[in-house]
Amino acid sequence: MSEHEQRSANGARPYEGVRVLELAEGISGPYAGRWLASLGADVVKIERTTGDPSRAFGPWPDDLPHDETSGLFLYLNGDKRSITLNLETSDGREILRELAESADIVIESFEPGYLAEHGLGHDELSKERPALVMISITPFGQSGPNANLPATELTLYAASGQLWLTGHPARSPLKNGGSQPSYQAGLNAFAALSGAYYGAVMHGQGSYIDLSMQETYAAMAEAFHNRASQLGIETQRGGNFLNALWGIYELSDGYGGICALPRNYPGFAAAVGLPELQEERFSDPGQRLINNDELMAMLYGWFSGQTREGLMELGIEHRVPFGFVATFEDLTGSEHLKGRDFFAERDDERAGSLTYPGRLWLSSGHDWKMGRAPNLGEHNMEIIHGELGYEREDLVRLRELDAI
Amino acid sequence: MFDPGRPLSGVRVADLTMIWAGPYAAKILADQGAEVIKIESPRAWDNIRTLIPPPVAPGEHWWNTNFYFHEYSRNKKSLTLDLASDEGKAVFARLLNHCDVVIENYRTDVMDNLGLTYDWLREQQPDIIVVGMAGFGKTGPERDAVGYGPIIEMMSGMTSTSGYGDDGVPYKSGISYGDPIAGIAAAAAVATALIQRQRTGEGQFIDLAQREVMSTLLGEFYMDWSMNQRLPEHMGTGHDWMAPHNVYPCAGNDDGDDWIAICVRTDAEWEGLKRAMGAPEWSRRAEFSDQILRWEHREELDQLVGEWTAARAKTDVFAVLHAESVPSSPVWKMLEVIRDPHLKARGFYEPLRHPEVGIWSVHGWLWRTDGAGPCIVAPAPEFGQHNAEILGGLLGLTETEQSELEAAGVTAARPEGVPLASEMPPTPSML
Repeated sequence: MSEHEQRSANGARPYEGVRVLELAEGISGPYAGRWLASLGADVVKIERTTGDPSRAFGPWPDDLPHDETSGLFLYLNGDKRSITLNLETSDGREILRELAESADIVIESFEPGYLAEHGLGHDELSKERPALVMISITPFGQSGPNANLPATELTLYAASGQLWLTGHPARSPLKNGGSQPSYQAGLNAFAALSGAYYGAVMHGQGSYIDLSMQETYAAMAEAFHNRASQLGIETQRGGNFLNALWGIYELSDGYGGICALPRNYPGFAAAVGLPELQEERFSDPGQRLINNDELMAMLYGWFSGQTREGLMELGIEHRVPFGFVATFEDLTGSEHLKGRDFFAERDDERAGSLTYPGRLWLSSGHDWKMGRAPNLGEHNMEIIHGELGYEREDLVRLRELDAI
Repeated sequence: MFDPGRPLSGVRVADLTMIWAGPYAAKILADQGAEVIKIESPRAWDNIRTLIPPPVAPGEHWWNTNFYFHEYSRNKKSLTLDLASDEGKAVFARLLNHCDVVIENYRTDVMDNLGLTYDWLREQQPDIIVVGMAGFGKTGPERDAVGYGPIIEMMSGMTSTSGYGDDGVPYKSGISYGDPIAGIAAAAAVATALIQRQRTGEGQFIDLAQREVMSTLLGEFYMDWSMNQRLPEHMGTGHDWMAPHNVYPCAGNDDGDDWIAICVRTDAEWEGLKRAMGAPEWSRRAEFSDQILRWEHREELDQLVGEWTAARAKTDVFAVLHAESVPSSPVWKMLEVIRDPHLKARGFYEPLRHPEVGIWSVHGWLWRTDGAGPCIVAPAPEFGQHNAEILGGLLGLTETEQSELEAAGVTAARPEGVPLASEMPPTPSML
């Protein structure tokens, strides 16, 4: 399928005509910008002259580092246009101000206060654009004692309480693979921007949003945070189990498990088929918790005889919440996901054949794109010359001044 | 006057969601100012109300008071309505005339079984926006699979990325991570569809599969598979080029389970860590003199840093590292994160006042908008608290008509068959 093929009937995309300036690096801001671009916005990615550092994160084809083939960068920056600007120069700042005159949304992830110190804060940029929506995404937000403390994925896991909750109770706390503090913040930023932009459309009034990655992550501490605040009770991490019916077991060909609430028990007992499960010590919800260890021992045996596919089929047949630990090989080969048009499948001229998540949801009312990510500064000429009206000679001068 | 924190004011949502994923979405919509009407049947209420029995859920009307339910239902209204009955469906049809959005996270087939198809909903309100949040989506061979957060996590690839690395065991998150993630995306979907409706005058149906949303948080792993046919290696709390980068044990007062996370990305941060530790002799050794060497010798380095932290409280270690701008954080427990001085200074937690429970703190704004007031304007509603307001005030049903609906069991002030707390035997809780 071609990279710009559009997938539903009317070709409409909800953010068409919306101009976004993305002054954000790494994962969180670009993840938010990526969906805006995919859904029709003109996202101008403003990179420092050495490029978004995610260009240096990989993975790369055959592990050969290259600025234009980082898998992370290609994933997060499809359908955007890239220009380079050095905001430490007055020319760089001036070009940004000119771009902001036509911007509807600004996404930034500088250290708190950086843009304001350079005369580019929300107050300045919104002076002529009262409907401008701007979001700052930082590890700890714009205020408070930790605002300027540098952070990593691991320290944000720790600061949000998520690290404490994850991992085996007899071992050290554990993080998920990847960069969840950044990704979840990016998803929250997309929700914040879509809501705020709707407000701007309806009322002609923009807003400035301060998003703290720690806070958006701490907000999903499930019942555990409230158990602490309402009852004063600490929660011990439980590893792969909350109880026998909520956990991950070893299967004959991998790992899988069950997450059942009491109302799922009849279907579960039918699917498993062991006669003991009909006895009151297991079938009664209260008794079941008291006899949890015995039940778990029995299920260890049962699950070890199941396959991943077999478990899935049983789950569908009996409407029981079974699942297995899917790998990226499983996922890219999934007929279900392919049939739902979940993947972008692109043959990238720099990085080869790529398959990756291409959308958040399906819609009867709009399309999405999953195009190519830009090279560093690929659109300098198109935007700075073509749209802002700088002469070609100016671009040469700006480059000599290290402004672009 | 426009409140920039509540850009969805004026939007009305018929909220059919249950448990966590859907209610998390509806919470975001309600916090942003939408009028969210939580609709539950007298016989099929949001299961989260009664998952936690008394005494943890205090008061006689314990289905109204558990903290789990409260976190996600503040700022919402409650209407009870049996959508499986003709009378309930007729009332729902009238309500839809006043709604912009319908959101549900039922199993794939439930809405159709109830006769609440997109076509039917659109007949009642032509520009309605409908968001369905089934775990695996509304189409495809796995559409009938069901799953809560950890299943979604497993099936998205997330779980395959997490583990200690020495035993091959994949680990789930400590929370049902798939739920809030899907909820955030669904809130974005609603606002996106509203933006489009403003332009076109048309509604739409959005099929949001929780598993797919979660899988979008794993882009680099998909790319590594595409580019190199490589699956993720379990790294525990380590890193593929930073060292030190780990959790280190600290002195604690109770359970020997106190930790601090410390990460060093640059030589400057290494110098900061050395100063914080008082520049011990070992830290000047040649094998720790640059990033690549530190990473090569990371096991020994972790051991030595751990010996320094183990004699100290995590808050003391954090104070000296903070002064040196070294990326670090105490591994906050639940009782600690709610007292984190930084979150406190920013007012992240807001007091929640409930008539039967008293006051406790829950998180407020997910993000701060300049000029916005407090996030929490109302505690979670009691079961059917807004029946009269909505049925009488909004739809104009007479008191007699409302009484008839209640007599027929179409509405109720109490979930059917649930005893008062004082009538119940002691029951263990799954939490």
